[in-house]
Amino acid sequence: MSLPTIRRAGPRPYPPRVSQFTATFWEALAAGRLVTTRGRGSRRLSFPPRPFCPYSFEREVEWSELSGRGTLYSHTIVHAAPRAFAQLAPYRVCIVDLEERLRVAGALVCAGEPVIDAGVQAAVLMHDDGPLLAFQQ
Amino acid sequence: MTTTPCIIGAAALPVGRYQAPRDADIQTLERELLAGVVIEALADAGIDKSLVDAMVFGLERDYPRQRYFGTFMASYLRLPATATLAEVTGNGMTGGLAFDQAANEILLGRARVALALGINLETGIPTDEHLDNTMRHTGDVDFHTPFGFTPISWYAMDAMRYMHDTGATRAELASVAVKSRAFAVHNPLAQYRTPLALEEVLAQRMIVEPLGLFEVPGRADGAVCIVLASEAVARASGAPYLRLRGRGYFHEGAHQINEVPNDMTAYVAAEAAGKAAYDDAGIAPGDLDFAEIYAPCTITEVLASEAFGLAPRGRGAAAAAAGETGPGGRIPISPSGGCLSRGHPPWVTGLYSFVEAAEQLRGRAGKRQIVSAHMGMIVAELGNYNAALVHILEAAR
Repeated sequence: MSLPTIRRAGPRPYPPRVSQFTATFWEALAAGRLVTTRGRGSRRLSFPPRPFCPYSFEREVEWSELSGRGTLYSHTIVHAAPRAFAQLAPYRVCIVDLEERLRVAGALVCAGEPVIDAGVQAAVLMHDDGPLLAFQQ
Repeated sequence: MTTTPCIIGAAALPVGRYQAPRDADIQTLERELLAGVVIEALADAGIDKSLVDAMVFGLERDYPRQRYFGTFMASYLRLPATATLAEVTGNGMTGGLAFDQAANEILLGRARVALALGINLETGIPTDEHLDNTMRHTGDVDFHTPFGFTPISWYAMDAMRYMHDTGATRAELASVAVKSRAFAVHNPLAQYRTPLALEEVLAQRMIVEPLGLFEVPGRADGAVCIVLASEAVARASGAPYLRLRGRGYFHEGAHQINEVPNDMTAYVAAEAAGKAAYDDAGIAPGDLDFAEIYAPCTITEVLASEAFGLAPRGRGAAAAAAGETGPGGRIPISPSGGCLSRGHPPWVTGLYSFVEAAEQLRGRAGKRQIVSAHMGMIVAELGNYNAALVHILEAAR
């Protein structure tokens, strides 16, 4: 399934580094899919994706697609921003518990007041230079 | 043969703004500020510099120009070391780790006297530029920082969640800032000393919601030197001193948020480290006369107070609002005024806590003195309490 995409003009304020390994994550996100790694033997998901399983320390991992559905664990609005984010401030960020029992953080996009414990949907913030993960409520 | 590490002296600069802007003609030199504090601390301890066998520095920020600062200072002070000379780091835990390592040198019998010391200079750097640096300290630079998280944004999310879970109000949280100031009014080392009313706290502009300007720490510089000694040296001084009664540590193996959903506001590292320290000391939370807690924001102190068993779970904010943790309260927390009013030069904040313990447990805290203070808990933490380092100190006089 494809995540909703929100276009954002300009480059990302503080772009993530991409390794040969994490390129799979960022390319999938650009294509509208949220993926992470799972240990082949342990079957346990981890986030962020890693070239090993942090539970079993096995190096054999496989990529697994996540639904992008979850609940809002917490959120805030940053008013006092780093210089890199000055143009954006104030802006919302959040912590989300995905239905696959992974806790992740991202940008939060919502029209009204966010509701903790209510559902959220992952989305792609597509900047000129690449994608970022966001959640919509 | 082991000995008990003791604190026999302490000194610190009043927390404030010392660092000059980079383009100023006259600069503030870290070497000069810290040397003055070391001399004052050794005078307070009443010992000669020749007894110092170890120096453990908290790592400096990278803003001051001099690097390899520990070895540089040993030269500047003409202080050789037979046991160790090191710079240690752990973000907010840095000051606590410096104390811990210095205590170890005493405990191992390598040092008769060990200094735990450090300086944090950062106020010459504009806040937004400083945040460009510190946003790389918390969270994950590739999977969190690109969204614009700042160090205190994580505490803000603690506050949002805590209010949701417990029904605590923002005013209850904000009361922590009021009681912190009530202590700091009487602390000559405090950065903010004018009395503060709840209405003023609530009226400030938002920094990270729901935390306003007075519910988060101001920018600050500071410098501290704690003098530790073996109990033989401490006793020989004939002056009051502090004994290290217990110690606890826990790192939860998670950084900022646990990828496996848990109760983020439970501060599991604080709970585990606190329990280990209580067990090590053979005491219960109720035996403490005060706790000096690394808590950059109002919410942080509330959650830490609960995790350390100083307030019931979910009732920490209400306890603070009821005055239980303030002057004359059931369990005074951060009688120095804490990060919010004593001030928060982050990489030496942990060492300032030991200065307050040295004042309280030697009966020298003036108008903020806790009556018959005998035992206190000192806490350092690392980012949203993923780790906590706890020391329990008792008075020996």
